Amino acid sequence: MGEITEFLTLMIPAMVPFLLAAQGTVLSGRAGVFNVSQEGLMVLGAAVGFLVSFKVGSNTVGLGAAFAIAALFGLVLAYMTTQLRLDQFVVGLALYFAALGAAGLLYREVIGVTMEPPLIPTLDDYPIPLLSKIPFLGEVLFDHDLVVYAAFLISAVIYWFMYKTRSGLAFRSIGENPKAADSLGINVTWARTWSTVVGSGLVGVAGAYLPMVYTGLYTEGMVAGRGWLVIALAFLGGWRPHLVVAGAAFLAGMEVLALRAQVAGIGIPHQFVLMLPYVATLLVMVFAFRWARQPAFLGRNYDRESRLVG
Amino acid sequence: MTEQQPPRLEMRGVVKTFGPVVALDSVDLEVGRNEVHGLLGGNGAGKTTLMNVLYGLYRPNAGEVLLDGAPVSIGSPRDAIDAGVGMVHQTFLQVDNYTVTENIVLGTDVSGPLRLDLGEARERIRELSTRFGLTVDPDAVVEELPVGVRQRVEILKALYRGARLLILDEPTTNLTPQEVDDLFGSMRAMVDDGMSVVLITHKIRETLSVCDRMTVMRDGRRVETIERADTDADHLAQVMVGGSADPGDLIDATALGAVDAEEVETVVSSVREEIGVTAQGLVVVNDQGHELIRGFDLDIREGEIVGIAGVAGNGQVELAEALAGVRPVRSGSVQVGGRSMCGLPTAAWLDHGVAYVPEDRHRDGILPTASITENLVLGSQRSPRIRKHGLIDWGAAKQRAVDAIEQFSVRANGPGTPAGDLSGGNIQRVILARAFAHQPRMLILHNPTRGLDLGSTRFVYEQVRAATAAGCAVLLISEDLDEVIALSDRVIALYQGSQAGEWPHGSVDAYEVGRSMTGLGEARV
Repeated sequence: MGEITEFLTLMIPAMVPFLLAAQGTVLSGRAGVFNVSQEGLMVLGAAVGFLVSFKVGSNTVGLGAAFAIAALFGLVLAYMTTQLRLDQFVVGLALYFAALGAAGLLYREVIGVTMEPPLIPTLDDYPIPLLSKIPFLGEVLFDHDLVVYAAFLISAVIYWFMYKTRSGLAFRSIGENPKAADSLGINVTWARTWSTVVGSGLVGVAGAYLPMVYTGLYTEGMVAGRGWLVIALAFLGGWRPHLVVAGAAFLAGMEVLALRAQVAGIGIPHQFVLMLPYVATLLVMVFAFRWARQPAFLGRNYDRESRLVG
Repeated sequence: MTEQQPPRLEMRGVVKTFGPVVALDSVDLEVGRNEVHGLLGGNGAGKTTLMNVLYGLYRPNAGEVLLDGAPVSIGSPRDAIDAGVGMVHQTFLQVDNYTVTENIVLGTDVSGPLRLDLGEARERIRELSTRFGLTVDPDAVVEELPVGVRQRVEILKALYRGARLLILDEPTTNLTPQEVDDLFGSMRAMVDDGMSVVLITHKIRETLSVCDRMTVMRDGRRVETIERADTDADHLAQVMVGGSADPGDLIDATALGAVDAEEVETVVSSVREEIGVTAQGLVVVNDQGHELIRGFDLDIREGEIVGIAGVAGNGQVELAEALAGVRPVRSGSVQVGGRSMCGLPTAAWLDHGVAYVPEDRHRDGILPTASITENLVLGSQRSPRIRKHGLIDWGAAKQRAVDAIEQFSVRANGPGTPAGDLSGGNIQRVILARAFAHQPRMLILHNPTRGLDLGSTRFVYEQVRAATAAGCAVLLISEDLDEVIALSDRVIALYQGSQAGEWPHGSVDAYEVGRSMTGLGEARV
């Protein structure tokens, strides 16, 4: 296996957590809800996904449970911001801490402190018939687990919905000018609610994927700041699903690079190598923020009666 | 009009109260078919409130609405649209980064919910825009369009939804005279096509030029409904203000349109010989780094009002901020009272007597949650008059606020009232009080009377005239051309960041200014 093939084959699954979480963030963001609880929801998704898989014996059920619990947090965020009109950032941070605490508590309650950490089976690869036989491309793209395919499919569906349907046109207008949308009979509260619930659910699945793909172990800190990077990724991709795919490839590439540099032992302390994705993100953001566009009403609550809106 | 056909719209005994305030006191309105109906009155007369009731934005306390003779119940804008009523508000409700077509079809059931085929809609928009003379490119992105075209988009939005009765709320405020003519032409075309149009306005002249009938409102009541043929400007002005007082005194400067020749004579000019402000070769960039002011020269004499006329977005904000010292200039110089100001901190500009009344008074003019006292302290926090032992003397500051409330007739419960709770006119009074506390050498006003009621507008004009009498150099930047022409000793047209023409007071032709504002003028300076 060539060096490049191997790198790309590792990069594709590494994209999945970024992809799912960022598309979830973009989904609610385009309706104007700026979720900042990704890191917490991913940790909680990882814990719940792992624990349910371990107890039930099915990764699929684990992924579903992670989606459900994170979606529940999303519902709280949606309710607090659309009905009570509390500050999105403050509620998001509160949910981050709540999710982080709940994750630690759940793991301790279910597993306790053990010398031998429990293990779940990692996800099986499903090579796609015929396509996976294509030299190079088949190996890189079509020989992965089902969540990988799903992540790309979900990205495509979100793109199609936003840009190729009438409902998507109406949906995006809410994040740009909710007052205009409201005046034309588009239901702002409903759109913000469902997109926040579904978007948060996707963030939870992104977290649950982590223990299922590499080691089969759950460790505290395994999300390792990916949730925060996802926020940067949403901005980097200009809140557009197709550009987010490119951004996710960049972040995953950096992650794999750091990992391989560490294994190769190039004489640099590995802590520095591990900083690579974060430093690279910072540098890219410096340039990206000049042109990256964001929804005009991102992070702002809509109140029909307020005179200061719009 | 034939006898048998019921009128397009009948409103009977409409009452609307906001708390203890009676905004509409049993108002009747009748709009015929094929008719442009003027709804006339000063600010606060209730004309917009009445139309908001018709459009389902306000629920009336009593009264009934009949369309084409049939009673209708309108509880939301959706109901109004379904009943064939369209409304174009003063502030456009558009998605900036959408195309014209996307904005128009938004919220309709074009194609299917899971498809997006705008071809048919685009054709329909083309057809409507040709039929009514509303020229617009269906594929243009609206944020790149000038105000006049964005207004056509808003009208097309209503026509696309099949409106038979179109309400236009003060549609001419930010238009050039040419655009006003085009708009009136379109309104005629709609009426000829069988529609009815309600034109909300406070400008007498435009009412007379386009309306078939007009209803005058005052203090939430209908005063009179008049046929165009039976009235003239003086009569309408009398009806508007109540017949008793001198109309010229009570209607604001813009109500009658461009100032009459006699009125020019009565403006006492206080222009002095000395140059108060000089700007040379100004180049200013906006937040995105684009050059919006490109080589602008300006002299303002002491006691002179120089008016800048222009379509919004031609560099007004950048010019105002550069001359106020809150935005750095890329090149060029600014001298105030003989002193070179460029590069000095904003505090130095303030201390030197430069006062700025910004366009967005809520965002740039006040701290909404801070009290009137605190807002008045802003900018003079270093002044020895309100400092004691290195700290702010809040007793003195409060006394100053009490004086200002008295002197500028601010309607507030007291100096502790948060500035954001005040009405637009009272916020502007607070900002003016703050500006005049510095005894300004230069006063920069940007859209100083937008959205203000009659009394406040007049108050602003009086204060400006008083300032010029004291020798202050005034720069008046306004998108209301009538206001610029009425107030200024000299009018300068601004187009794409440079001067596109200059006229002394008394020889200003609104159409010529309009041409220069849109880059069609020949009088290049």
